[in-house]
Amino acid sequence: MKTLTRYAGKAFPCMLLLAVMVFFVSCEKDDFQKLEKRNWQLTWSDDFEGPAGQLPASANWVFDIGTGDGGWGNAELQSYTNAPANVSLDGQGNLVLTAIQEGNRFTSARIKTQGLFAQKYGRFEARIKTPYGPGLWPAFWMLGESVTTTGWPQCGEIDIMELKGQEPHIIHGTIHGPGYSGGNPITKSYALINDRFDAGFHLYAVEWDQDKIDFFVDDYLYQRIKRDEVPGEWVYDQPFFILLNVAVGGNYVGFPTAQTPFPQKMTIDYVKVYQEVN
Amino acid sequence: MNSPILFNLKKYLPAALLAFLLVACERDLEELKPAAFPTNPEVFIDGFSAGLNYAVFGGASPSAFDVDNQVTWNNSSASMRFDVPNAGDPSGAYAGGVFFTSTARDLSGYNALTFYAKASQSATIGLIGFGNDMGPSTYQVSISDLQLSTGWKKFIIPLPDPSRLTAERGMFIYSAGPVDGKGFTFWVDELKFEQLGTIAHPHFTILNGQEQVETSFTGVSKTIGGLSGIYNLPSGVNQTISLSPAYFQFLSSDPSIATVDASGKVLIAGGPGNAVITAKVGEVTADGSFTVQSQGVYQHAPTSSQDADKVISIFSDAYANIPVNYYNGYWAPYQTTLSADFDVNGDHVLNYTDFNFVGIEFSSPTVDATSMTHLHVDLFIPNALAATGQIRLELVDLVANVTGTSTRSITPAQTQQWLSLDIPLASFSGLSKRTNLGQLIFVDVNNNISGFYADNIYFYNASTAPAAPTTQAPVPTHPAANVISVYSDAYSSITGTDMNPNWGQATAVSVVQVQGNNTLKYAGLNYQGIQLGSSQNVSAMAYLHLDYWSATSTSLKVFLISPGPVETAYTLQVPTTGWRSLDIPLSSFAPVNMSDVIQLKFEGNGDIFLDNIYFRKN
Repeated sequence: MKTLTRYAGKAFPCMLLLAVMVFFVSCEKDDFQKLEKRNWQLTWSDDFEGPAGQLPASANWVFDIGTGDGGWGNAELQSYTNAPANVSLDGQGNLVLTAIQEGNRFTSARIKTQGLFAQKYGRFEARIKTPYGPGLWPAFWMLGESVTTTGWPQCGEIDIMELKGQEPHIIHGTIHGPGYSGGNPITKSYALINDRFDAGFHLYAVEWDQDKIDFFVDDYLYQRIKRDEVPGEWVYDQPFFILLNVAVGGNYVGFPTAQTPFPQKMTIDYVKVYQEVN
Repeated sequence: MNSPILFNLKKYLPAALLAFLLVACERDLEELKPAAFPTNPEVFIDGFSAGLNYAVFGGASPSAFDVDNQVTWNNSSASMRFDVPNAGDPSGAYAGGVFFTSTARDLSGYNALTFYAKASQSATIGLIGFGNDMGPSTYQVSISDLQLSTGWKKFIIPLPDPSRLTAERGMFIYSAGPVDGKGFTFWVDELKFEQLGTIAHPHFTILNGQEQVETSFTGVSKTIGGLSGIYNLPSGVNQTISLSPAYFQFLSSDPSIATVDASGKVLIAGGPGNAVITAKVGEVTADGSFTVQSQGVYQHAPTSSQDADKVISIFSDAYANIPVNYYNGYWAPYQTTLSADFDVNGDHVLNYTDFNFVGIEFSSPTVDATSMTHLHVDLFIPNALAATGQIRLELVDLVANVTGTSTRSITPAQTQQWLSLDIPLASFSGLSKRTNLGQLIFVDVNNNISGFYADNIYFYNASTAPAAPTTQAPVPTHPAANVISVYSDAYSSITGTDMNPNWGQATAVSVVQVQGNNTLKYAGLNYQGIQLGSSQNVSAMAYLHLDYWSATSTSLKVFLISPGPVETAYTLQVPTTGWRSLDIPLSSFAPVNMSDVIQLKFEGNGDIFLDNIYFRKN
């Protein structure tokens, strides 16, 4: 991992862009990123196998329902449901979260492993095809288990993948913690050149240990956040649980327009969690 | 051991030669391929690209386009400037033209035409697009009502299925009119083709995405419309495009029932049976389909039996139709009825689908149906009825502002066959006047008739002509002294005349009384003679007078005969409306000898009534 120090620390969007360009032009990914070999052991997964229309396994997931407190804290427009129209398996090994427009209101879905599964450190990954269109805000993210006791942002938040539907070629990796949350998090973007994330599946992952959190797209490391570089308290030494959702509108993404196509789907092939073993 | 090797070499030599020949052949074929067209992506970067031409649309301002070196995108050296004229500008009503190349280009490696554009004010460009080559323009794509602002912005026109664009000459087309009557200027720059990974989710429709089902017949054709495409732009918003049928690959699930050609024209080839027409653009299946339920051979509507001169036809191939404003008014907002009219080998048929009500208007001019007695309509309900349906016909007099209605029940057993309605106009309830009829409306009373075909819609006069005159022939007024009478109650006639000599004719001769007046009747005329009681010298006379009446004859001649025999015919106009009185100059009968007239003769057909046959002076 030492070869990657030039990408560690704060985000440099220009360098990122350069790196991506070099990557695409040279096609020398293996030479470029000499990642340290790690021994990951699978600890939790969901492949979303099952008949079409079935809800995701209740052993793995619970639902957030409704509009939360003030649009889930972000002035989001959607109301979350557990209706198969909003959240169900597609019968082809995927889970589909669907944002639906019904007149002026929107329904969608948000599922989480809270109370069922949480893990401290490890690799968390999901293979996802994102939705698109202005005002769409899909996310694959995690919250610290202490959210129920210490509250947010003290609990910590790791956003493995977020996307603004009006920029379907850019994803964002972010952490929120005490002193660096809301509009002032630690974040970095990863852009595709002449491609977009909703045109196919991509693998989004973090690798997290007591010293750092690394962010990957398609196993390409684009951001490393080190423990000693966080401008506030490092709150990432407790188990985190996983969330998947498609929000519509809100402070982060802006509002959908008349040109935003609906319905919009986030398709998730699998979610897998690993723990490093020596 | 050497010889086997030699042998083997010989053995393989022909194969080696063959292989060489095959390679050579392939090369030859390769050389025969048309030279690849240039793949130059540039249309206008800082000037016209190689081979680019410009042509102005007819009626458009010829000076609308110019190269601008002042206002350009990103401080480049030149842009395309378009000056849209004010409304009423004598130089042209709008700005519009085509950029095309003299040599075709291979654009199959690009999926979008892109450009930067801005305008002198917020403005809408009516149409902007690709693929007009001033010729067949096979592969057109366009965007309607493109919104421009005063800042440069990049625009994308997606090219559906670029694999088809191997020899394209139409590069760019635009058409823009004034905004609120005021002209404006817009600029286009960096116009070029690109291969974009940032446009996604192509989506196409035929029939506006509807799953359309239609009952039909062998020989009927229909062109698939409602073609459009949608692409998602890099900003995540959808862009609708118009595209020509040539981008679509149309498919029939059963060509023995229905075929479809490259332009989307469906022809019902057989039946009974079903075929589903679908389409693809590249690898993307379009939304929408057309299911043909062919009944097989078309059952034509019954042949109309009314005489043309007693008919006012609104829709028929048997009669000349009056001017009709429309056969479907698409009356908003409540009408659902659509039209899918068809013709089978020249027999035109109205086909109303999604029926609730529909109106036909024939108000320019309105129809005076006073002399008509009936409305005739042939109806065919192609789909089965679960219960008895009712169809209400309404006739509207647009000047008297009255509507007459007549309702007809249709049982389930009466569907899928022609029903001929002959409705007396007098039975249209409320139709107090019919001097200015302008609309005929059909209404689905029970909301269960999904649609119907209609043919032979006409008014007609069913009153049969009277078989005999009801009034007597006009009473002659000529002085008896000036008359030599053959047959008349008004004069003394030549004595001894035989009104029915046996000349072998089939005609039945009788004398009937009309208002007490003796009238000669020829029933079933073929020919009929009159043998005068004596030879007559009529050379002092000027005319042969006769009164005749016939509702049924289509041919009638009268002859004068002198010995020889010398005879000459004079043709009489039939049928008559009422009595017709004629004074035929005797000169018409030359060379009959007027000093020796011995016989008269009639030839023709039908039933004839005759009276007052006499010669007279001036």
